[in-house]
Amino acid sequence: MSLLFVARSAARDKMRPSTAPPVPHGSWRLRWQWPGGGEASLLISRRSALANLGLLLALMVASGVYLALGSVRLAPQSLVAVLLGGGGLMDRFMVIELRLPRLWAACLTGAAFAVAGCLMQTLARNRLATPGIIGIDNGATAFAVASVVGLGVSLAPPAMALAGAATAAAITFGLTAGGGSRGYRFIVAGIGVGAVFGAITQLLLARVDMDTANAAYPWTVGTLNARPTGALLVLAVGSAVGLVMAMALSRALSLMRFSDAVAQGLGSQVARRRWQVLAVSVLLTGLAVAVAGPVGMVGLIGPEIARSLSCRRGVPIIASAQAGALVMVLADLVGRVLLAPIELPVGIVTAVVGGPWLLWILLRPLRSLA
Amino acid sequence: MRQALFAAQAQHPAIPWLGLVLLMSSVMLLSVLVGAGEVGALRALAVLAGDGDPEARFVVGSLRLPRTLIGVVVGLALGCAGALLQAVTRNPLAEPGLLGVSAGSAFAVAVALLLGASATTLRVSAAQLGALAGCLCVLSVARLRGVGGDPVRLVLAGAAFSGLLASLTALLLLFDQRAADEIRFWVIGSLSGRRLDDLLAVLPSLAVASLIVLSIARPLAALSLGERVAAGLGHRPGRVRLLVIVAVALLVGAATAIAGPIAFVGLVVPFAARALAGPDIRRVLWLCLPLGPLMVVSADILSRLLVAPSEMPLGVLTALCGAPVLVAVVRARRLPTL
Repeated sequence: MSLLFVARSAARDKMRPSTAPPVPHGSWRLRWQWPGGGEASLLISRRSALANLGLLLALMVASGVYLALGSVRLAPQSLVAVLLGGGGLMDRFMVIELRLPRLWAACLTGAAFAVAGCLMQTLARNRLATPGIIGIDNGATAFAVASVVGLGVSLAPPAMALAGAATAAAITFGLTAGGGSRGYRFIVAGIGVGAVFGAITQLLLARVDMDTANAAYPWTVGTLNARPTGALLVLAVGSAVGLVMAMALSRALSLMRFSDAVAQGLGSQVARRRWQVLAVSVLLTGLAVAVAGPVGMVGLIGPEIARSLSCRRGVPIIASAQAGALVMVLADLVGRVLLAPIELPVGIVTAVVGGPWLLWILLRPLRSLA
Repeated sequence: MRQALFAAQAQHPAIPWLGLVLLMSSVMLLSVLVGAGEVGALRALAVLAGDGDPEARFVVGSLRLPRTLIGVVVGLALGCAGALLQAVTRNPLAEPGLLGVSAGSAFAVAVALLLGASATTLRVSAAQLGALAGCLCVLSVARLRGVGGDPVRLVLAGAAFSGLLASLTALLLLFDQRAADEIRFWVIGSLSGRRLDDLLAVLPSLAVASLIVLSIARPLAALSLGERVAAGLGHRPGRVRLLVIVAVALLVGAATAIAGPIAFVGLVVPFAARALAGPDIRRVLWLCLPLGPLMVVSADILSRLLVAPSEMPLGVLTALCGAPVLVAVVRARRLPTL
């Protein structure tokens, strides 16, 4: 067999055939010629491409509904007019000044939470190991609240939230270093770390006066109502960087689903890649928490949707980002519209939806992540 | 019953128990003597001696003394409930707060308040029913799926369950401003502002729970040797388990009705008791009697003093001591099974 193979490849070298190897089943191949004469091609999984397109379409529809619905409803044609640059003054103000920034915040935080969750799940090889569950969200919240209490100026400076996320991640990983970051013990240790940071948040809120504490409360549950503008800008930059880095790591990520020995044998620098994945995940989580508070459930739901839609060969990063944004937009829409004068914090909506989902994942028969 | 009492006495770890009782009494005394307000230790001592000025009399008699007593009862209930639940699930991490029993009871109280109930007794029975439902829910689901054998996954299921119930409780509170005002301070878990009436309302159910515990201590100890051994010794494992769950629900529901959901007491107290007395559930329960109040009352003293003019929720302090214990248990190379 091997002899035959050698013979064939030698023949191919000599003849330089123009036909590339056959396209695997269920994939498309993009081929193009460089101006210099070289040829390049790219294999795209058909199912992943369709899933991404579908998610994008769903996200656009959801965004349209999000912009149109609210305390004042807009007809579809006036929404289109506003988006094209026309429309009435009042409509323009409402859409451009009020709803569009919030939509951006929802999309960005949802995408960031979901990608962070996807990375962490792949890293720990456990679909329950999302930043929200292993306490990273709580760490970011505690530090951000500390900055609110200490400085009293703005809600959640991103740097503090980032520092908190990094601290919580370092403690959780440090505590379970002996056993490796595998299995349920790691997650329960993370729950413990998260409980400590949750208690610290409560402690900090108990020290300040009632008004400040009440103002900070919805944000500690997770809401898009109190988003600070500076943090949103930082998140936009940070999530772009994080997404690019996650894409660059995607090959290492798909190797990470196998055991360390296999990944090493296939040429992946396992320890180094693990640090990089962890860093990206912490970056995204910290910045997203600075904007919206701990909406950790999105980190569980988003990747789960993406994984069930797209093909199982790789780690669906872009699909996760889109699914997370979609979930966040829908959850915030429900929170704004459902009990109209009262606004439900988005964190509560996602927790009510995500809690049963979490139980279902936990209690169904074990199946590997891949 | 007499036989059970006798057997329990035979298992009495006398020396550590006496030491802990002494420690508990001194902490109780301290809780009466110190506080956030103006009344210092000397003035409070004067009240205890029989005289003292009216202000100190009021502060000690109507504020600190009820608070201390409530702390003792809450600690007793939560510590024993933790030990029982851990014995019956054979899982060192089974803690009423972590497994969602407290969350179930808090949710039931929120529903009761929303439906218009405001009497204390009604709140207690709602809390106990909710605790029973939560307990049965988590344990039966875990059993159904075969998760019960894995201590750590059971805790995860409980965490998911209590997170869900907590957010549902928060959702309910958004609907009703009156209930929200009534419940907002209760739902965090604290001993401040509780009256002795609340304590009196839960005493009957605590009495029932302690009778149950006395009658099942021996079968429960036998059950720790395995189901077959217990059956061979003439006990009925299924009935014992059911009774334990009822007792746990009564205890946790009572504690939650008074003080709100407080996590981690039921983890730390039996953990310390097992470290002192070994695995026998009867010895552990004896030690939980002084250890539970010791932990809750000292946490309460700290919660009064740390942020002096204002007040810290008790649950914060118990989480701060309890979470490291949780992490330590999880990190152990070999997870101990009971």
